Amino acid sequence: MTAALAVHDLVAGYEPGLPIVRGAGFAVEAGEILAVLGPNGAGKSTLGKAVAGIVPVASGSVRLAGREIVGDPAHRMARLGLGFVPQTDNVFAELPVEDNLDLAAAVAGAPRARRIAEMFALFPDLGRQRRLDAGRLSGGQRQMLAVARALVAAPRVLILDEPSAGLSPKLAQLVFDKLAEIARAGVAIVLVEQNVRAALALAGRAIVLVEGRVRLSGAAAALAADPRLGDAFVGRGEAA
Amino acid sequence: MLQLIADGLVVGSTVSLGAIGLTLTYSLLRFANFGHGELLTTGAYAALAVVTAITAWGVDAPPIGPFSFGWPLLVALPVAAGATALVALAIDALLFARLRARGSAIVLIIASFGAALALRNLLLFVFGPLPEYYSREIQIAVALVPRGVMGGMRVTPDQMVVLGLALAAMVALHVFLTRTVLGKAMRATAMNPDLARITGIDTAAVIRATWILGAALAALAGVFAGLTGQVRTTLGFELLLPMFAAAILGGVGSIHGAALGGLVVGLAESLLTPVLGAEYRAASAFLAIIAILLVRPAGLFGRVAR
Ligand SMILES: Nc1ncnc2c1ncn2[C@@H]1O[C@H](COP(=O)(O)OP(=O)(O)OP(=O)(O)O)[C@@H](O)[C@H]1O
Ligand SMILES: [Mg+2]
Repeated sequence: MTAALAVHDLVAGYEPGLPIVRGAGFAVEAGEILAVLGPNGAGKSTLGKAVAGIVPVASGSVRLAGREIVGDPAHRMARLGLGFVPQTDNVFAELPVEDNLDLAAAVAGAPRARRIAEMFALFPDLGRQRRLDAGRLSGGQRQMLAVARALVAAPRVLILDEPSAGLSPKLAQLVFDKLAEIARAGVAIVLVEQNVRAALALAGRAIVLVEGRVRLSGAAAALAADPRLGDAFVGRGEAA
Repeated sequence: MLQLIADGLVVGSTVSLGAIGLTLTYSLLRFANFGHGELLTTGAYAALAVVTAITAWGVDAPPIGPFSFGWPLLVALPVAAGATALVALAIDALLFARLRARGSAIVLIIASFGAALALRNLLLFVFGPLPEYYSREIQIAVALVPRGVMGGMRVTPDQMVVLGLALAAMVALHVFLTRTVLGKAMRATAMNPDLARITGIDTAAVIRATWILGAALAALAGVFAGLTGQVRTTLGFELLLPMFAAAILGGVGSIHGAALGGLVVGLAESLLTPVLGAEYRAASAFLAIIAILLVRPAGLFGRVAR
């Protein structure tokens, strides 16, 4: 079976000759949740952005359901079924909640009214605030909208960059529960997270990124018990 | 007094249309296009060429009703809009797009100066230095308010149609930007280009659409300026400072602000000129800007940059 998303030996960064992601790779299947962990500055966000096509890729491969997409413009990747929720600035702040979703659905060629109704069923708070400008939502609602904005296009793969950042533990858990629900519907999820314990509890597998490379990878449960996990975060075990 | 307000609104509505185009391209491309004035001039001359061609054909086109122009000008309007859009797209593809790829807003601004100069001189070369008119018909101004009331108000039918069409264009633009997918995609791209691309919006196509829209509005403004004044090669350049004033006044990047800013600039020019003297006509717009920016530093509709 071809993976929903397979990234191989990816090198990417903001300036030519200054790679931030330095040969990273992973694969996710439909319905699976893969956690991407790592210390601050490891290149997790850059990896997500490079896969989504908004950071230049120097070399390597990204396959979406078997199809090579490196070099495609970002908007085409989105239309091919790649959803990405950035870490910051992830909603159109001056558009109403409903327009954020409507625009994304329309561009994707999805049945707009039906998909938006589905999003409001999944995130009832958004339905109640549909006329409000997205920039006026609370932090938690804003994060929900960011997820819904990507999800409304019915992507096959959903990459989320720290969707729980800045949320209370209770709200973060709510977001994670929604992600589990989305994965059960067959979407492949790549979850970049700071909250290691919560991410490992949710994900099936995980990778740990350090200095742009995959330091550790494996089943989430095994990684949770691995003493090298803590070392990767505090910068020990460089010899690997 | 009333007369000055009427004159100011007519000039202001033309400035508004130009300022909207200026602010549209600014908010998507993040550079101040000093060549925008020449898009107005291009539109004015494109319309003149169409009107001249139709009349040269020997077609009988008497003025419509009380207006100074016949149907050829109505045909010329969309043609001029289309031609100006093509010119804008060509300049973007040949010049701005290449420079954008290498960054630096200042280079783009200087390039737009250069493009403006080239375009203005090209028009001068083709159409000559003498001012032209769409029509030589004499118009009778209609007294809307009798002389006894606040000095009275007399307006020509042409002025009324210019004001009416300009306001209609602004309403149509508002509906376009808030109700259609392309309009929302334009606003989304202006707000957050990366997120727009991730969302599946072809931002290069949106930029092209923005040039088309901005240039079409510029052409409309150019024809209106020519209709209520003269068609001459400095027509757009003379409106450039008022248009910038309007865009800044409204809060750079705000379309509603640019529309309102244009009317304020028109009114300020008209009302302050008798006070300051005709030689300070252009300065009056800047007095208005300074006064408003002192109270609202980000402009009428602007947001303070985060
Ligand atoms: N827009 C940018 N331009 C240039 N360098 C950048 C940019 N964004 C991030 N970087 C650099 O890339 C490196 C990796 O940053 P990145 O945001 O990918 O890390 P991260 O693992 O997501 O960190 P965090 O956990 O803090 O979100 C950092 O050294 C950072 O300074
Ligand atoms: Mg990050």
